[in-house]
Amino acid sequence: MAKNAIDLSVDFCGVHFHNPFLLSSSPVANSAEMVARSFEAGWSGVVFKTLNSDRLPIVHPSPRMAAVDYGRKQMVAVQNVEQISDRPLKDNLTEFLYLKKNYPDHIIISSIMGFFADEWEYLAKVSEDNGADMLELNFSCPHMCIEGSGHKVGQAFHLIEQFTERVKKAVSIPVIAKMTPNITDMTEPAIFAKNGGADAISAINTVSGISGIDLDDFVPRPNVFGIGAVSGTSGPAIKPIGLHFIADMAKCEEIGLPLSGIGGIETWIDALEYILLGASTIQVTTGIMHFGYRIVEDMIEGLSDCMAQQGITKLSDLIGKALPNLQPTDQFDLDRQGVAQYNLDKCIGCGQCHIVCQDAAGQAIDWDIENRRPQLIEDKCLSCMICSFVCPVPGLISFKEMPKDWRRRETAVMDKNLENELEYEPFTKEGPHECTY
Amino acid sequence: MSAADRFKHMNKGFDLGQALAEADRCLLCHDAPCSRGCPAETDPGAFIRKLRFQNITGAIRTIKTNNIMGGACGVLCPTARLCEKECSARLKSLERPEGADSPIQIGKIQRFLIEHGWQTGFQVFEKPAARPEKVAVVGSGPSGLSCAAELAQDGYQVTIFEERPEPGGVLRYGVVAYRFDMAFLEKEMQDIKNLGITFQCNHRIDGPEGAEKLLQDGFDAVFLGPGLWDAARLKPDAPAIDGLYSSVKYLSMLRDGRFNDIHQKVKDKTVAVIGGGSVAMDCVESAVKLDAKDVYLVYRRSYSQMPAESDERIEALEAGVHYLLLNQPVDFITSKQNCLTGLKLVRTQLGAPDESGRRTPELIKGSDWVLDADIVVEAIGNKAEDASPQWYPNVKVNNRNLIEVDAETGQTSVKGIFAGGDIIRGPALVVQAVQDGKVAAKAIKTYLNKQEA
Repeated sequence: MAKNAIDLSVDFCGVHFHNPFLLSSSPVANSAEMVARSFEAGWSGVVFKTLNSDRLPIVHPSPRMAAVDYGRKQMVAVQNVEQISDRPLKDNLTEFLYLKKNYPDHIIISSIMGFFADEWEYLAKVSEDNGADMLELNFSCPHMCIEGSGHKVGQAFHLIEQFTERVKKAVSIPVIAKMTPNITDMTEPAIFAKNGGADAISAINTVSGISGIDLDDFVPRPNVFGIGAVSGTSGPAIKPIGLHFIADMAKCEEIGLPLSGIGGIETWIDALEYILLGASTIQVTTGIMHFGYRIVEDMIEGLSDCMAQQGITKLSDLIGKALPNLQPTDQFDLDRQGVAQYNLDKCIGCGQCHIVCQDAAGQAIDWDIENRRPQLIEDKCLSCMICSFVCPVPGLISFKEMPKDWRRRETAVMDKNLENELEYEPFTKEGPHECTY
Repeated sequence: MSAADRFKHMNKGFDLGQALAEADRCLLCHDAPCSRGCPAETDPGAFIRKLRFQNITGAIRTIKTNNIMGGACGVLCPTARLCEKECSARLKSLERPEGADSPIQIGKIQRFLIEHGWQTGFQVFEKPAARPEKVAVVGSGPSGLSCAAELAQDGYQVTIFEERPEPGGVLRYGVVAYRFDMAFLEKEMQDIKNLGITFQCNHRIDGPEGAEKLLQDGFDAVFLGPGLWDAARLKPDAPAIDGLYSSVKYLSMLRDGRFNDIHQKVKDKTVAVIGGGSVAMDCVESAVKLDAKDVYLVYRRSYSQMPAESDERIEALEAGVHYLLLNQPVDFITSKQNCLTGLKLVRTQLGAPDESGRRTPELIKGSDWVLDADIVVEAIGNKAEDASPQWYPNVKVNNRNLIEVDAETGQTSVKGIFAGGDIIRGPALVVQAVQDGKVAAKAIKTYLNKQEA
């Protein structure tokens, strides 16, 4: 299929985006100069850095970020203590005018955060009046200490509804509510947002965390002159959390709103995973912090090629396509069992599979010292598949289903004789049966 | 392993995991310096980044749309002195030895991507709308193929004329198979054939005005990329000697069906190869693989002056080749039956620099000696066939019979005739020929558009 026949455009709350890739509200969307360059690179829209009303002075802590490295790998996550925009409101609004004038086909979403209803309303109104195509209500900034602001709102559901309602009454452009992941169940606040009139939900904002502690002075990072603080963590490490919240909301019929997926997106594959779980737009910050706006080129090309190869012309046909396959754990068919299978022709003899199976699994892999090869004892294999995660050779270890009558050996007891000394009566009381384990 | 087997396959390349790991090591530089190091304008900065971000199809597209011979270049390019020389990862190690890093293996990543495209069946090119203009390409080596592919991608009707039975030029008949194997070449040729180019093999364009006549035979433009297939010889006028080969003939025999003949000739014999370039290195190393008893590399200058790449020189040494440096061959010693028995050498020492800046080897009087040898291969350079100017009498050539062209366009002195590859610059890299073909193709498009207007 011709690549140019691929349509990556999406309609999100009735607004047309020529592709689903947006800058999320953050330092990467701090000024029109930056956003203009991102548009040139291929991003279809921006959620501008959260506006403030100039009522309170905004001063960012210094330094304001710290990275989490893993081995040689830099920046698997980033922790930041940034605040909302420290620029004067009129400067930010002037930037909107510039962007709308010069990039009329690109979408400007104004992120706003107030501390009380009047302030929310005011920010919403000036955004709409100065060219914003949509609003995103920041109920989720994790760096606000004042009750009634940032993720403190996101955790106080009635405030979400109240502020959303006020904003909706003040403007006619679509309104997105941005959720904090620093709660247990996101569907609840999302429903409050919907009741307040929100047109869409975006998630996730940063996950509260501590990136590390300097062992010289015991100060958690980033070290702001002797003080560290729990603050927002982002980047590839948090993608599983973002995917889970998006999927939860997509599956919740009561919400039924379009979703914007955020969290650890760097490649077209990450983006597509969010889309398959129900997101129709994608927002990125940490990927850009690490590599720059240029990564969108590979998101566009990689996604287009993938769709062309699968014969899918419209991206919107892929939204939510993985959701039917996502079910609660009690839907698993536990009668079907399998084991790891080894293609030893490929084995290089490192023995990592043996180590992890000994210490973290079923002791199902013996070690042939002579030949430096693992020997699988099939009926002890738990099918955890950890061995395949540590194996350095792709395709050596895979999962295979066993016949219906196959049984796994029970884990052996060290000394059966000690049973005589047991102090033990079986538990006999009746209880619920829904949960099978 | 039999001698024949040693010539069948080149070294294995990266697999996906290795390529991703290498891409992961790349610093993804701003204004990537590697991308400025390629004579054919390959953009490793872009294709490595694309690989890094799982846009593997895009990475393949980046290579192939710029260089249809991207696979061949990935295998054959002396990357250490081109793209990889500019690599910031390498510079980092120079600045900071404690963080030592080697340059990203760009050539190997490039080769992987092309092979991955073949494995997964990814087609880079979509069928273009056909155009009426017809272009003749003379020679199916790297420059001709590159020119033809660039034109065919835009729908031009291209016919390639090749005098040998199979296309590929130097890639098929001039490179040893353990450096670049047939299976790989065939796959890359298939990519080119898929563009809809017509190949006329066993079709030599020569004779009086043979090449120029193509313009009267219905072709709107002609590209000449015949390469250089005559060998420079130590004694050009000497009668033929049994056991004396030019590198052109010797290397061709390894690939054109005469492998067993040359194997029988070389096996258990003493071989001397004259020259210090990459071709000489292929000759000595292949002689070792052909079970020669002893292989000598005879070079009149010093080790560091050899034009061959550093890794090739070391590889040949390790393979067991004896280096006879600072020795000037002056004559061939033959038996009464005109069989070669030795090579007469005179020892040299380095004198004052010549105009190229290299110190000149000067003969040491009275130091002549004879190296016993059964086979001598002369690898001292290729040249244009003496008769070649007659095939295009109106095309201006220089005193070495190399075609003179405008460097920006490849345009010769005859309107509508373009040229590139070794025939315009003398022996050079494959990647340089690829660029010549591309440059000429772009100029041909401009020329044909003007003709129409």
